[in-house]
Amino acid sequence: MIELVLSGRTEAFEPLVTPYRKLLLTLGYRLSRNTEEAKEISQETLLRAFRYLRSFDKKKSFKNWLLKIEMNVWRGLSSKRPDAGTLRQMALDSVPEGPEESLAGKEAREKLLACLDGLSPREREVFLLRDIEGRSIKETAGILRISAIAVRVHLSKARSKVRELIKDRFPEFLEDRR
Amino acid sequence: MNCSRVRRSLPLLAGNDLTPAQARRLERHLARCPDCRQEAAEIRAALAAVRTAAAQETFDWPEAEWKALIARVNSERTEPRRRPFLLPAPAPRSWAYAAALILIVGAALLILKIIPSKPGPAGLTETLAATPVLPPPALSVKEALAAVHPQDRPYMIHPRQETLGRVLLAAGAPPEKPTQDMMSMTLVSQKTGLQVHWTLNRNFDWEEKKK
Repeated sequence: MIELVLSGRTEAFEPLVTPYRKLLLTLGYRLSRNTEEAKEISQETLLRAFRYLRSFDKKKSFKNWLLKIEMNVWRGLSSKRPDAGTLRQMALDSVPEGPEESLAGKEAREKLLACLDGLSPREREVFLLRDIEGRSIKETAGILRISAIAVRVHLSKARSKVRELIKDRFPEFLEDRR
Repeated sequence: MNCSRVRRSLPLLAGNDLTPAQARRLERHLARCPDCRQEAAEIRAALAAVRTAAAQETFDWPEAEWKALIARVNSERTEPRRRPFLLPAPAPRSWAYAAALILIVGAALLILKIIPSKPGPAGLTETLAATPVLPPPALSVKEALAAVHPQDRPYMIHPRQETLGRVLLAAGAPPEKPTQDMMSMTLVSQKTGLQVHWTLNRNFDWEEKKK
């Protein structure tokens, strides 16, 4: 598929990236906590992926390559983004498209995921890639261009913080866990 | 293992990010420590809650926006192959450092060879002429030097003299030869009779040494 795109048949790009369209948009939302910014991140990711497709090493994972681009795009945009508190309010105010569910359930989920706003940008990236997207430590390190040790350190801090935040805001989730 | 050390590793244990040996050591501690066991359970529960919430939260592009995006992408052009823009430059290898060093040294040598050396100070003769010449030494030394190097003006270094700076100039070519661009001097030890003959060019670069 990649070869087709590179040979000039650009229509092959859509089937190439369609399996990742939800992933990129969802990750963009989890990073930015804002629907419009998530679309911007996802769109820029796909544009860069197309533009620099020739640089992609075919021996490596295309999915991880896309995630790496998305993290790069996110970092570029994050310097302009509002602080975490504003983001959380924007996230709660916006109603992104998702599966049908009750408003109460959606709000509870949003508030639970808003705990991630308490993480530093690096902790959030590591946590999202490892714990939400299920990338391995090594893959996470490759995507973020940091060492595996750094991933472990940030991951450990991120998980501890998430536990503390949930214990503080939603203690019912952690009761009777002995 | 003490509790504080165990607790540092609990977040990694909760996500199955420890080696089996590390995990076994922690599990042994957890089996006998209720506080650490409680903390480990809370981290696992927190992770599970966030993962469940995240799994329910997936977004997709509205079809029209997706088509518009793909149309926009297709109007772009792929860049020619180059170093991946999102990757750091590859680490230079040792042979690259060596090649660079050889190139630099080679270029420096070439430049030194091509560029003519700077002409010496034009006023050397004048400097020599302006330098006060101290009284001639004992006749025997003068005679001896005149026999060996008749073009030189001999000068005897006084045994108590501590500096040779002015003496070197004073022992140069006679001022009546304005075109002279070589200078020689012969130092003779009065005690041992040892002679040292130096020839310097107009840049005061050492040319020749005779004993």
